[in-house]
Amino acid sequence: MNDLLSLCESVLSEAGETEAEIYVSLAERGCARFAGGDLGQHMELSEPQAAIRVAHGRRVAETVTSRIDREALVAAVHDTARAARLVPEVESFPGFAGPGEAAIESPPRHAETTANATPEERVERLAPALDAIRAAGLVSAGMLETSRSSHAVATTRGCRRAHEATVAGFRVWALETPGAGGAAGYGGHVHRDVRALRVDEEAERAVRICKMALRPVSLDEGVYDVVMEPEAVTELLEWLATIAFGAPEVEQGTSPVAGRLGERITGEGIDLVEDPSDASELGFGAPFDREGTPRRRVPLIEGGVARAVLYDRIYAARLGATSTGSALLPPGGIGPTSLAMAAGTAASVEELLSGVERGLYVCRLHYVNGLLEPRRAVMTGLTRDGCFLVERGKITRAVGNMRFTDSFLEALERCDGMTRARKAVPTWWSDAGAFVAPAVRLRALRFNGRSQEGWR
Amino acid sequence: MDAALRATLDWLRKQPSVRYAEVRFVDTRGERLRVRDGRPEQVTAEASRGVGIRVLGEKTWGFSCSADPGEASLLAAARRAASIARASGAAVRAPVVFPEQAAARGRYETKLEVDPFAVPLEDKLAALDGPARALRSGDARLVSAEAWMDWTHQEKRLLSTEGTDVTQSLTFGACGMHVFALGADGASQRRSYPTWQGGEGFQGGYEGTSRLDLSANVERVKEEALGLLVAPPCPSGPRTLLLESSQVALQIHESCGHPAELDRALGSEISLAGGSFLQRPLLGKLQYGAPIVTLVADAITPGGNGTFGWDDEGVPAASCPLVDHGLFVDYLSSRETAAMLGRASTGTMRAEGWNRPPIIRMVNVSLNPGDAGTLEDLVADTDDGVLVATDKSWSIDDIRLNFQFSCEAAWEIKHGKRTRLLRNPFYTGITPRFWGSCDAICGADDWRLWGISTCGKGDPVQSMHVGHGAAPARFRDVTMGSAS
Repeated sequence: MNDLLSLCESVLSEAGETEAEIYVSLAERGCARFAGGDLGQHMELSEPQAAIRVAHGRRVAETVTSRIDREALVAAVHDTARAARLVPEVESFPGFAGPGEAAIESPPRHAETTANATPEERVERLAPALDAIRAAGLVSAGMLETSRSSHAVATTRGCRRAHEATVAGFRVWALETPGAGGAAGYGGHVHRDVRALRVDEEAERAVRICKMALRPVSLDEGVYDVVMEPEAVTELLEWLATIAFGAPEVEQGTSPVAGRLGERITGEGIDLVEDPSDASELGFGAPFDREGTPRRRVPLIEGGVARAVLYDRIYAARLGATSTGSALLPPGGIGPTSLAMAAGTAASVEELLSGVERGLYVCRLHYVNGLLEPRRAVMTGLTRDGCFLVERGKITRAVGNMRFTDSFLEALERCDGMTRARKAVPTWWSDAGAFVAPAVRLRALRFNGRSQEGWR
Repeated sequence: MDAALRATLDWLRKQPSVRYAEVRFVDTRGERLRVRDGRPEQVTAEASRGVGIRVLGEKTWGFSCSADPGEASLLAAARRAASIARASGAAVRAPVVFPEQAAARGRYETKLEVDPFAVPLEDKLAALDGPARALRSGDARLVSAEAWMDWTHQEKRLLSTEGTDVTQSLTFGACGMHVFALGADGASQRRSYPTWQGGEGFQGGYEGTSRLDLSANVERVKEEALGLLVAPPCPSGPRTLLLESSQVALQIHESCGHPAELDRALGSEISLAGGSFLQRPLLGKLQYGAPIVTLVADAITPGGNGTFGWDDEGVPAASCPLVDHGLFVDYLSSRETAAMLGRASTGTMRAEGWNRPPIIRMVNVSLNPGDAGTLEDLVADTDDGVLVATDKSWSIDDIRLNFQFSCEAAWEIKHGKRTRLLRNPFYTGITPRFWGSCDAICGADDWRLWGISTCGKGDPVQSMHVGHGAAPARFRDVTMGSAS
């Protein structure tokens, strides 16, 4: 049995509350962060966390604490119980999860090699990449991370869940200058097994893109056909996840899905699914949420039609639905952790580019924000780490970074190409999640700014 | 606990490979309260306690931490930090230069009138529930309303091999509300008070929420939310732009505070946030803004989210200009980065908590007040323009030049008067050109110290309390548009 699950059971037993839930996790992360060609921040981070909820009838309070020793947790349960007596009722509170169905079979998420990686091993993996970028006359930056985590949930109603995972991630930049802008190339890979991490290949990719990005030209603002790499697509998906699929945003009427379930909201070729059960190398999702509800595979958009909303237990009870296992870790909220966009049929990015008469090839996006007009999913952001002019199907030259402002859903309506290959990109707010996307071709995306236009 | 910290530091002092080390105990307590549509949406107490240990070895840094403040655990964490520093030396070309700092000793404490954790929970929830219910009442188009209150108390103890021994007791608060209105056409509008969620923080006690007086602002917020449903879109094109003070604060945050971080300028933050256009050759030479623009990095003004006694390297809090009468003159810096410029640290290294290393963070990066009177004086002085209020979305490029911010509300100004409400406004520009177009800043009476409680930086990302003092200001020839 997972040690944390034993801890949860023992805390609930000793605390003696009638209605309580305890989620405990412990992540141990080794982060080798490099910049300016050197390893300047190498950290081992411990992230213990317990989230305790106690209910008195329909009065519910919560405590989130880093102290996960038994004595501290029992005291936290008692403190939470005292607070719960003072809180107004949540009418729709359905009680905490019971034993329910057995958890969905836990997909493979753990590799001992990653769990046991040492500082020396991280340095050993990293050093050749730093050397290769330096040898190319460029400056490196990025992070190589190995992490292991354990998670467990128990409730007084008999729910018992436990899960263990590892993640090895590598993100690398090759830069013309250390921090002043200029040409940049990016590479990244995430895998549960550090031995499978494509460190050298991704460093080579970063160098190749950076060299392509030298001596950019300034392009006019306007409307361009765009081919986007998966890293750019997932950044847009992250914002769509934030504004669209959680029950609170739908109930509040701010979501583009609100009142439109069953309607086509984007292009017919677009399928989006919350897929925590993906057992392939692209899958990183945990099999249950913090309430102990098994995470389900939930088609959110099928053939461009809005199909579903994500719920936790309280919102599901109030809105007459079933929890989808989408309660997020503190500070909370409801949303996907394993959003996946279906693949297309294009054999390669080059095939997508071949269908562009004059447009842009975008490797990554920066600082996207999707709160301009959430009902239409209007977003803005800038290109970063490689933006190139495409003419008659070929990349012809580097372009300075540009700002787009457009509705993502309307842009997906104009999507006419996606690659068969997809990539998993970790969501920056979640230790355990990654979004999956192919490269896509979007017609007529609106660009309204250039990043360094005329400032000197 | 004190003995364990000292024993750990003693062990580190004895290690020949350790040039410098700091042991930082952090005990954080928090409370997050949120009511929505007549029910409690979040009632969460938070606690986090542990010790972070940062070690400078022969060539570079190592960091480790322990949630257990017992001596055995801390010694194990210290050994790991030293070991990480040693292992990392293989991927570093030249040793870090880390200038000495005089040992700091003392205590800093937030001045509180009312300890927010001593106020009964039910009273705090009631203080939120009344305004949130009132926000939704009276019109079916007001579909959802929320009010919230956040409290954080942090006890920090920093010991270093240089003899620094400082204790800080910091209390932060934030409080606000917003309402969502839904039109017959399905369009949604949000209106908030006192500003967008995340920008309404302060350092202080429960008295800070009383001063906000949520209830007194309910009717105006409702009226504006409903007005936005039927307002025309903000026209596109170059306009004279007036920003109310919380939007000036956000503008400072994104286009001055972050680019003035020296670690960004040096390229150390590429892996999350990016670099900076404020490169070293521009120091003392770049005309960042108009001569009326003076921006100060201030860690000493009472009540600021970015106010403290010492940073997490033991450097005393200070106040220094970043932009002096329009000229770019200094960075937010650390001991290591400032030494690269032959300067002294401006004292801005802070960590989110015990399990993160310190990095350069904004303090209170503030715009000095001008002589344009009040906001209403500024409106009266404007023949043709647009006043925008309350940030809604924020985006800026990876060297902090091209920004675009959208706001909740805008008002057209004609012949010195606010006329009609405009919806979904955004404005965009290039940082130095924008600040160069500033031709009026309101005076001290309309200057307010805002607090952002969720500034993200670092990798893994760290959230931080930072502040921005700002008065309403006017900018000429700014490109505007509507997200409608």
